[in-house]
Amino acid sequence: MNGVAMRLRQAPGPGPDLRLDLRAINPAAMAGLSLAQIGRLSVTQGRLTLPLAEFFDLSRTDLPDDELRIEGDLARCDRLGWQLGGGRIVIDGDAGDYAGAAMTAGEIQVLGNAGHLAACEMAGGTLRVRGSVGDFAASTLPGSMDGMRGGSFIVMGDAGARFGDRMRRGTALVFGDAGDFLASRLVAGTIAVGGHAGLHVAYGMRRGSLIFAGVAPAVPLTFVPAVAGAEVIWQLLARDLARHGGPFSGLPTRSIERHLGDVAADGKGELIIVR
Amino acid sequence: MSDPLLINGVIIDDGFAEAFPMKATRLLITAHSLVWACHAAVAATGFATSVIACGCEAGIERELSTEETPDGRPGVSILLFSMSGKELAKQVERRVGQCVLTCPTTAVFAGLAEGADLIALGKNLRFFGDGWQISKVIAGQRYWRIPVMDGEFVAQESTPVTKAVGGGNLLLLARDTDAALAAAEAAVAAMKRLPAVIMPFPGGVVRSGSKVGSKYAALSASTNDAFCPGLVGLVAHSELNAGTGCVLEIVIDGLTEADVAEAMRVGMHAAIHIGAAGGLLRISAGNYGGKLGPYHFHLHKLLEAS
Repeated sequence: MNGVAMRLRQAPGPGPDLRLDLRAINPAAMAGLSLAQIGRLSVTQGRLTLPLAEFFDLSRTDLPDDELRIEGDLARCDRLGWQLGGGRIVIDGDAGDYAGAAMTAGEIQVLGNAGHLAACEMAGGTLRVRGSVGDFAASTLPGSMDGMRGGSFIVMGDAGARFGDRMRRGTALVFGDAGDFLASRLVAGTIAVGGHAGLHVAYGMRRGSLIFAGVAPAVPLTFVPAVAGAEVIWQLLARDLARHGGPFSGLPTRSIERHLGDVAADGKGELIIVR
Repeated sequence: MSDPLLINGVIIDDGFAEAFPMKATRLLITAHSLVWACHAAVAATGFATSVIACGCEAGIERELSTEETPDGRPGVSILLFSMSGKELAKQVERRVGQCVLTCPTTAVFAGLAEGADLIALGKNLRFFGDGWQISKVIAGQRYWRIPVMDGEFVAQESTPVTKAVGGGNLLLLARDTDAALAAAEAAVAAMKRLPAVIMPFPGGVVRSGSKVGSKYAALSASTNDAFCPGLVGLVAHSELNAGTGCVLEIVIDGLTEADVAEAMRVGMHAAIHIGAAGGLLRISAGNYGGKLGPYHFHLHKLLEAS
C-alpha cells in the first residue's frame, strides 16, 4: 500500500501556457522510485522538458503500489495513461486529449470529462469516463489505419463525432448520446449507445456490431434488413453489456431488429436496434 | 490380501480397478429446445464407447437448465475423453462438425473454465461459412457465427483440455442375466446423478469386458475369459463359480480421480442395495496387476470412505 497521488498545482492556462504532455507518467514509471525521484520524471510543455514536480505536488497514499491518483483540473493535460501496460490510474477531474490512448492493459478511471481522441488505438484494459468524451474517441491516432483494437471503453456521458472511427476490436459503450458519423468505417468490434446518435451512423462500416439501446437511428440506405434471427449471439452480447448497467441493464429481455451492411463497404456489419 | 467383505449377501473383492490418464474436454450444446440439444448430444457422443476403436470415449454428462447455459436456452453438457490432446482435437472437430453444426438451432460452447491446453472448437469449422463467417469477441472469448439455413450456428472458438482419468470400472457378478442387468442399471442410474463422469458404453454397461493382449498378434485386446461364464471349467484361471451366470461391467471416465472414485462408490452402494436376494453375488474390478495405469481404486477403501 504505497501508491502515489499527484495534485496539479495550477492548471495550464488558456493564454500563453501550453498544454502539458504527461505521456511518461504512469504507475510502471514510478515503481520503486522515491517521491523525489518521481518528481524528477519528465513532462513536456511545448518545446520544454520539465520535471514533474514543477507542476504537481506529490504524496504517498494507502492505495496499492500500482495505483496512481491524479487530482486537479487536467483538461489541458494530454496523454494521461498513454500506452498504459498495467496498474490503475484514477483521474479526479477532467482529462485532456488522448486519455488512455494506446493503452494495452490496466485500468483508467476519469471522474470528469475527457477531451478528443480518448481511447484511440486502445488495445486492452479498461477505460471508464464518468463524464463525456470529445471527438474521435476509440478511433485512430492521426495517420493510422486501425482504431481501438481491444479492451473495454465505457463512457457514462455523451460522445462527440466519429466515435469508433476505424475501430477494429474491443467493446465501447456510450451511456448517453453519440455525435455524427458514429462507428464510421468500423472494421470490427462492438459499440453500444444508450441514447441518441447523430447523422450518418455506421458510414462505411465493414464488420462489427453497433447496438442502439435507446433511440433508434435513421438506418442508412446502404443497409439491408436481416431476415434471419440471431438470438444466440444476441444473448451472449446482451448479457455481457447488461453488467454495465444503465441503459444496457435490461438488454437480455428485450427483442431486437437487425440491419446488415454497410453494403457499400464489406457489408458484414450489423446495426442492432433494441426494441 | 485380506478377506473379502460381505455386505447384504454380496461379496466385495479385496481388489482394485486400474485406471489410466486421459485428456478430456466438456462441451455445452444448446438449442431451441431440449429435444434438439439432446439430438445433437446423442449424435456427437455416438460410437464413442472405447478408445480402442472409436478414437474417443464420450457421453452425456447431464441436461442443463436455461439458467445454466451461456445463451439462456436449454442445453446438454457432454464429456469427451481421448488418449492424447491431438486425438481429442480431431474427434471434437469431427463430431461437432458432423453432429452439432448439422443439427437445427444448436450452438456449442466450451464447458471447462480452464485447462492446460486449448483445442479448436469453432476455430476450423468456421470455414464452412465460405467467407461469410463472422468473429465476435465477447468478454474476452471469441465466437464464430457461421451462416446456415436456419439462421446462424454459433460456436466458441476453442475449448480447454484437462487431464482426466479413464477406465474406472466395476464388475458385477450375478446369478443370471436379469439380476446382472438390474444391478447394473441401478448402479448406472446412481452414477449418472453425479457430475464430471460418464459411462461411455451402451446404457453405461459393457458385457464384453476385455483383457490386454490376444493369442492373435494383430489384436491388442481380447475377451476377458476369466469372467466369461461360458468358459467356466474350460479356462484354467476362471474367476467364476458354477453359480455365476452373468457378469456385466461398468466403465467410468471422470475429469478427476476423485470423480471416478465417487462414481464407483455410489455405483457399488446401488448394486449392493439389490443384494444377494436380488441375485447379485459379487462385485469385483478389472486390473492388470498395476501395470496399466497409475490410478488404483480399491473397492474396500471406497466403501470405507463412505
